[in-house]
Amino acid sequence: MTMQTLVDGLVLGGLFSLSAVGFSLLFGVLGVVNLSHGAFVLIGGYAAYTLHEKLGLDPLLALPVIMLGMFCLGYAFQRSVIQWATKRASLLASMLLTYGFALMIRNALVLIYSPDFKSVTPAYAFDSLSFGEVTVGLTRVAALLVSIVLLAALAATLRYSNIGRTIRATAQQEQAAALCGVNIRHVFALTSGLSAAFAGAAGVAIGLVMPFSPPDETLWTVNAFVVVTLGGIGSPAGALVGGLILGVVNTMTAQLIGAAFPNAMMFLLLVLMLVVRPAGLLGNSFKGSR
Amino acid sequence: MKLFVSGRSAWVSIAITLAGALLFALLPAFLSPYGVRVGQLFVLAAGLAVAWTVLGGFSGYWSFGNAAFVGTGAFVAALIELALPGWSPAGAFTVALLAAMLLNGLLALVIAWPILRLRGIYFAIAMLGVSQVCYELVSNIDALRGALGVNLLDIVPKDVRPERFYYWALLLAATAIILIAICVRHSKLGYGLLAIREDEDTARMLGVPTAPYKISAFVISAMLTAMMGVIYAHNLGYITANSVFRNEFNLNVIVYSLLGGMGTIIGPIVGAGVMTYVTQVLLGDLLDIHMFITGLLLAILVLAAPNGLYGIYDAYRLRLKRQKREAGR
Repeated sequence: MTMQTLVDGLVLGGLFSLSAVGFSLLFGVLGVVNLSHGAFVLIGGYAAYTLHEKLGLDPLLALPVIMLGMFCLGYAFQRSVIQWATKRASLLASMLLTYGFALMIRNALVLIYSPDFKSVTPAYAFDSLSFGEVTVGLTRVAALLVSIVLLAALAATLRYSNIGRTIRATAQQEQAAALCGVNIRHVFALTSGLSAAFAGAAGVAIGLVMPFSPPDETLWTVNAFVVVTLGGIGSPAGALVGGLILGVVNTMTAQLIGAAFPNAMMFLLLVLMLVVRPAGLLGNSFKGSR
Repeated sequence: MKLFVSGRSAWVSIAITLAGALLFALLPAFLSPYGVRVGQLFVLAAGLAVAWTVLGGFSGYWSFGNAAFVGTGAFVAALIELALPGWSPAGAFTVALLAAMLLNGLLALVIAWPILRLRGIYFAIAMLGVSQVCYELVSNIDALRGALGVNLLDIVPKDVRPERFYYWALLLAATAIILIAICVRHSKLGYGLLAIREDEDTARMLGVPTAPYKISAFVISAMLTAMMGVIYAHNLGYITANSVFRNEFNLNVIVYSLLGGMGTIIGPIVGAGVMTYVTQVLLGDLLDIHMFITGLLLAILVLAAPNGLYGIYDAYRLRLKRQKREAGR
């Protein structure tokens, strides 16, 4: 029983990690708290839903397409709107701006898809794997695998590729990076694109595992923040650790204390963490946390 | 001891506030019942926004979780009224209001210690967390009746129309809040808070007792917010956790201040007026795309007027001054 709860928690945690890593990156590199992140997650979910319903495309095959589309969206979002706001007003004001966008996206999703719950159900949605007494749905396994593979890919990109190096350099010292010939605006927009792409991917994975509706965007934004605070800003590993802890705490609380308390527990953990160690478990001292 | 550091401008502000409140108190005579309802929303919004400003505007500690105090205040009042069945409505209401304010002050005092050590975005989000925890606890613990809902006492006197009564009650509370905010702003505490907003470390180095000042402002802000929450709950008549721990309370107060002018007292009032007018009167019929337009307005606001309406006015005033000086030469 406990084993099953633990596995369910890990699957949920994988989703939390994936949905938070983009938020974490944007916060770490640009210092922008993107309150429309949850809305981006949902756009990914609804895109997978549409592609599956209309074209019969498997969500896992649709994933690269959606990530690419979201990347472009995120890039444009940074170059057009966010950049303007951070230049003219404060970073805190960019929070309000993104909140405004979250409201708009949520409203648009309600108008297009209705406020009802939707879910993506590929043919294998009802198959499952059993390991001893633990049973895991195939879609859940897929979601967990997607999370881990994508997080690893992002970590590797940030660590070893050229573009990853420029992103990290920009996060550490904007001016110095600019002096070395890094096009800051381009790097910021790339980061925002990556962030949106990962939000979209998280949306697809979430769509596989659970039903979703437009008001969920708040939930995913807040979850992302909790994960990032737990794990540490700007690091994929931090997002993974934070997400997994959160997922396990979530299912364990539901199992042991009561089905109504996971959220309260989560926020208690958040406030405690902020007090004890604001930089998070694996935090880099990036811009947002300084 | 001197009450105000800058005495004259404080008294001027107080006089203007009282005159304005008197003017607003006469309004229901000229308005339809619907107009009075819109007036209620405006006064509520202005009161909450100024209460938020005492901490957020003056000291720069933006709380994203003031709904915690609105909701906790409302529920404390409702539960106390339930516990005093034999009392007259007016008596029970007074006790409930005072208890709600006191308890929220205490709550703020207790959470201030850990979370006021956080700065900027971290404080904002921690407060969001606090409001979520309060919401979850109230709606999930059966004894607090957040999911079930509670009825509040009917405190409207017989010969007054209820919408007018609550309009005046909210106006009275909002006026009190504005007066207190003016007193804070012009006292030593207010100057200390402004210094904290500009540069907390420097302020501390120069001898501003930053921690006690921040905590005082936080407690005052929480108590005033709770007062508004209690009256608002009575206006609703029946509350659930969903109806008082609303996200709008968390974020709209900030929007009003941003729109009107951050850190000023007139700013949030003007902002509340404009937003209430736009959302309730101009867009009242467009419920489907209400959220969309609010979001759009927010975005335009941040992009077009980052310092709010007061910022525009301030720039205009400075330009006039400069022109006058140059003309005088």
